[in-house]
Amino acid sequence: MSEQTPPQQPPEEQDLDEPSIEADPEAQQSLAARWDLYQRTGGVITPVLTAVFAFFVGGLVVLITTGKNPLSTYRAIFDGTGLNWFFPWVSGQEREFAAEDLQQTLLLTTTLILVGIAVAFAFRCGLFNIGGQGQYIAGMIAGVQVGVLMPDLAHVPHVVLAAGAGAVAGAVWGGIAGILKATVGAHEVISTIMLNWIALWIGSYLVGFNGPLQDPKQVFVPVTEQVSQGAKLNVWWGDPKLQGLHIGFFFAIAALVVFWIVLNRTTLGYQVRAVGFNPEAARYGGISVGRNYFLAMAISGAFAGLAGSVDVLGWLFRVDLTSVQVSSQIAFIGIAVALLGRNTPLGIFFSALLFGALINGTSTRNLDPSVFQPELASNLTLIIQGLVVLFVGADLLILYLWRARTKLRRKVRPEPVAER
Amino acid sequence: MAEQQGPVLELRGITKRFPGVLANDHVDFDLRRAEVHALLGENGAGKSTLMNVLYGLYHPDEGEILINGKAVRMSSPREAIDSGIGMVHQHFMLIPVMTVAENVVLAAEPRKAGVFLDYDAAIRRVRDLAATFKFAIDPDARVENITVGQQQRVEILKALYRGADILILDEPTAVLTPQEADELFGILKTLQREGMSIIFISHKLREVLEIADRITVLRRGEKVETVPREGATQDSLARLMVGREVLLRVEKTQASPADPLLVIEKLSVLDDRELEAVKDVSIEVRAGEIVGVAGVDGNGQSELIDALSGLRKVASGSVRVGDKDVTTETAHKHYDAGLGHIPEDRHVRGLVLDFSLAENLALHDFEKEPYSRLGWLRPGRMIAAARRLLKEFDVRGGGPKTRAAALSGGNQQKVVIAREVARDPRVLIAAQPTRGLDVGAIEFVHRRLVEERDEGRAVLLISLELDEVLSLSDRILVIYEGRIVAEYGPEVSEQELGIAMTGGLVPEAAAS
Amino acid sequence: MSAQAEVALANGRITFRPARVAGVVSIALGVLAFWVALPPRTTRSELVPVVLGLLGIAAGLFSWRKGETRLGWTAAMIALLGMLGGVLAAQAAVENLKVVITWSAVLAATLRFATPLIFASIGGLFSERSGVVNIGLEGMMLMGAFFAVLGGDKTDSWVLGLLIGMASGAALALVHAFFSIQLRSDQIVSGTAINFLALGITGYLYIDTYGQEGTGDLPEVPNVNLDWLSRIPPEGLGSFLEKSIGHLNLMVWLAFLTVVLAWVVMFRTTIGLRIRSVGEHPRAADTVGISVYATRYAAVTLSGALAALGGVYLSLGFVHSFTENMTAGRGFIALAALIFGKWRPFGALGAAMLFGFASAIAPRLQNVESWATYGTLFQALPYLLTLIAVAGVIGRSIPPAAIGRPYIKQ
Repeated sequence: MSEQTPPQQPPEEQDLDEPSIEADPEAQQSLAARWDLYQRTGGVITPVLTAVFAFFVGGLVVLITTGKNPLSTYRAIFDGTGLNWFFPWVSGQEREFAAEDLQQTLLLTTTLILVGIAVAFAFRCGLFNIGGQGQYIAGMIAGVQVGVLMPDLAHVPHVVLAAGAGAVAGAVWGGIAGILKATVGAHEVISTIMLNWIALWIGSYLVGFNGPLQDPKQVFVPVTEQVSQGAKLNVWWGDPKLQGLHIGFFFAIAALVVFWIVLNRTTLGYQVRAVGFNPEAARYGGISVGRNYFLAMAISGAFAGLAGSVDVLGWLFRVDLTSVQVSSQIAFIGIAVALLGRNTPLGIFFSALLFGALINGTSTRNLDPSVFQPELASNLTLIIQGLVVLFVGADLLILYLWRARTKLRRKVRPEPVAER
Repeated sequence: MAEQQGPVLELRGITKRFPGVLANDHVDFDLRRAEVHALLGENGAGKSTLMNVLYGLYHPDEGEILINGKAVRMSSPREAIDSGIGMVHQHFMLIPVMTVAENVVLAAEPRKAGVFLDYDAAIRRVRDLAATFKFAIDPDARVENITVGQQQRVEILKALYRGADILILDEPTAVLTPQEADELFGILKTLQREGMSIIFISHKLREVLEIADRITVLRRGEKVETVPREGATQDSLARLMVGREVLLRVEKTQASPADPLLVIEKLSVLDDRELEAVKDVSIEVRAGEIVGVAGVDGNGQSELIDALSGLRKVASGSVRVGDKDVTTETAHKHYDAGLGHIPEDRHVRGLVLDFSLAENLALHDFEKEPYSRLGWLRPGRMIAAARRLLKEFDVRGGGPKTRAAALSGGNQQKVVIAREVARDPRVLIAAQPTRGLDVGAIEFVHRRLVEERDEGRAVLLISLELDEVLSLSDRILVIYEGRIVAEYGPEVSEQELGIAMTGGLVPEAAAS
Repeated sequence: MSAQAEVALANGRITFRPARVAGVVSIALGVLAFWVALPPRTTRSELVPVVLGLLGIAAGLFSWRKGETRLGWTAAMIALLGMLGGVLAAQAAVENLKVVITWSAVLAATLRFATPLIFASIGGLFSERSGVVNIGLEGMMLMGAFFAVLGGDKTDSWVLGLLIGMASGAALALVHAFFSIQLRSDQIVSGTAINFLALGITGYLYIDTYGQEGTGDLPEVPNVNLDWLSRIPPEGLGSFLEKSIGHLNLMVWLAFLTVVLAWVVMFRTTIGLRIRSVGEHPRAADTVGISVYATRYAAVTLSGALAALGGVYLSLGFVHSFTENMTAGRGFIALAALIFGKWRPFGALGAAMLFGFASAIAPRLQNVESWATYGTLFQALPYLLTLIAVAGVIGRSIPPAAIGRPYIKQ
């Protein structure tokens, strides 16, 4: 006879502070089960829904501001991504174009995977690394410098050295923020943002007019020399002259594996996760919190730096003012990639692919201006990216979704009200 | 003093469900004018939930609230305040960086020109109000700089300032010394004479018998019975509260102390504000004894614990664990030297709540065999070790892969104790080991600590619960303002301890 | 230890600390090392700044060794910077230096560069004092900058442009408020999203509305001309005042007014008391009947409107046009200024002036002939200074207790 009353309190609020729970271990068990359910549903459904929703809002923006059909706009963007290559019925000339587009998309995916890992690794240590841009610039410059010097070096050591130099430079740049956090408690968000701008201006100085790294043969162009042939990454798919897909893609895949192994299978990863979840408990456990802040930021920076050097060795081959000031902003998308990917390797791969496709599909080269203006579309990408970060960060959305689902289920199959 | 008129407050059939938990199950409760009505129950019995319902912080799923016979709906604290209800929360609702006056008048401020805070008027009113009830309090002092007892009075002032005639006190003596508690009871008696009706929430039998006119006992969310004070005894109340016979005293044999294992000499420690929080403390704990440190919260206990476990720098003096000097070593080296540490707060320190139990159990030793080798974790061995420990310590509610957050408080504490004890430490520091636990879990922890003592470990118990210190310790030290001011045998009276805890024994030189 | 010293220690009284004094001396020496080489002193010997700078660094390191980690570190860095600046300045041609560094112009420029920072950091003050971290200041500024241009252009009125700009910042702040208060998002993540959104929205609408042509003629926020300042005796002072603050934009003065108003509201009114109580201990505020959510919503929204004013000044008051991402990290510098200023209006003002000075001096240094090769490097100066300041002070200033933590209503 009592009315059916759905739980009003989200369980997460209760599991720690509400002492009543302690009186009833059996009730606790079911609570734990709920928690696990949360994790599972929250793990896959929310990011997917978030992305769908973000694209939906993006479509609305297109419709309202330009009056164009969002579907045909997205269709045009999709065609530029090359993802139609995966459709078996695409063939002939169309398939060749699709292949070229897909190579471009995967080039961007490579970068995004690496900068995404950079953000995710720091996240796991409880740090928010917004400094991907600065670390990426550091990686580009170190990479190009090692690539230009030592022209006589053999191919493999040269690539390893140049790519490695980028990672080290990124690690140094990220490590500065880590040291500041560990020793004086400077918040990493502010310090990494400042380091971004410092890197940007130092980079601009180095490659700019009269800068020490400017190509002496082209005094009127702010650009470095090209990396020597031996330092370039091999292209394994497509035409090397048309920016085919280089082996850096496999570096990124390997980085995902390394990321997972370091976090879950090493004592370093154990420490990083402990500090990320609860620094005070980690400290009590005998773990040096400061050391892990530094290491996490340095490792995080190394991934972003590697992204910079892989781009230089893979397809940029030289660094100019534009790549320092504009292209490096790609590192910011790492935040959306990491969040949408829930900091997991597989998630990062797919969200990097999503954003890589989006950027490539909206580029001037691939998007037909008569369908939609590419400059607009790239800003649309920013909006979608912002929405993704906004929604993925909202814990309660998971909760609402979960509750909506249970309600739906209840309507279908009413559960008996549990009485004691 | 029960009159013929109806109760000022009545709760009828209050039911409050949380997911998976029935916190209040059709609870009835009534409060007469000018009476002290105690709400008795152990941790988790639903006392606080019931009062939060009354104060508008929770919304009941069923049941109604009547004030002076009229049904009211409490959907926010605002409505409770307007109905004349004031609440002194267990964790004070005071803003430390603001002054007493600011805290008291918040949200009902005297104003100038509509928007400006009339601070002088606020000071005046608070001073007048304090004088009426003979509270010694400086309205212009910052809350963070006054004692806990005074803070509690500020909380009472807040209620009085808002014209409350029903006052709820949630575990008010938990943070007080026996003397301060006596003062509080004096204040409550005064308020009662002025016509104030008081709900007194507690799990301490003795004080309920001392202050209450009637006593309502809650158990597992249900009302067991309401009894008048006359005729009630500690034993009868305890039975009602727990539902079975309880041992009020821990059984233990005479200690047989051997070699000193924890030796603290002239230890001084600075707190976060770089003030000296521990001053010249020397303690020796021998194998096979429990040494209790009693004291009011904030007298240097936390800093002492931190310094002993390598979590805080030592300013001067030395700490020796076993035969190793660990004064300047990291926390890690302390553990290696044979220290076990059950920390004050299992949520903040003791556990990484998002880690699995297996990972939590490896917290000190993940860099050693068998948990890892050459920097590589071995999850299989972690889980195997965890399975063994969880069984040995009777941890219920989850296996090695369960997240620590999913366990109840008692089981979480068992995990912490399992980890610390399983490392076979020579010295065990137990800080507030039973905070927030129910009777069953408390019994387990106490029994276990005595067992560890009998195993030949040196146990240092630091607790704010006088009962706990008294019933477990073989020697009792009293800490006051960072100094050890007294040492007693286990037979010392609570009164005597209380005097020492409030500085009654401090020699002239140090006090000046 | 003597009994007296112990009592002093226990009472927390400030006692003479050599380490702290050394740190302050170090900073002073660093500033001095730079200053002696600039007009009007223009010391030509490089030895003087080198000696002063080295002394400063030594003092800083001493301070560091003696326990003042942050202060010492910062002081040593500042002394190093001062020494480098001094050496560079000593090498430059005196005439050139005098043209480039005219102190009245530097002051005027400092105020111009500080103004957007002041608005934004006061905006941040309201949000953070109520317990909500506002890392989205940057985006809110950018919204203000663009919509003021759009509004001013369409209505042909700078007043309406200003109001529209403020409204746009407030609207974006409302999104941040909804997510961080209602949905309990991580406030830093939400703020970051806000920044992306602002970048996308303003960039999109800018291109959609103005394309490649730019904004063209816009109504401008007028300057306040105080010619009478030049008549203040003695003559040097009068003309200095007239040149530095005689022709400032109206919004510069508005910024100063905002600081004063913010202080009054925050520390002298019941509104401020309630905002602070919500930021310090939301549950305590809730139990006396203050709506935590409503207070936070209001504070965050106001924060957005104020930050947007900073953007409005940038576009309508300063450069008279809009470019994509024109705020260039100023929102973050403003946030640093707020923290540096210990969450107090006048503290934030002081910090904003310091960062404004760095921004004002950077392009001037670039114009010194003999330094032209280092060119763009000077652009990094404000950011570098912010970084040093952040490292030096932030750990010391205590934020509102409940900052960054969503409040869960029962």
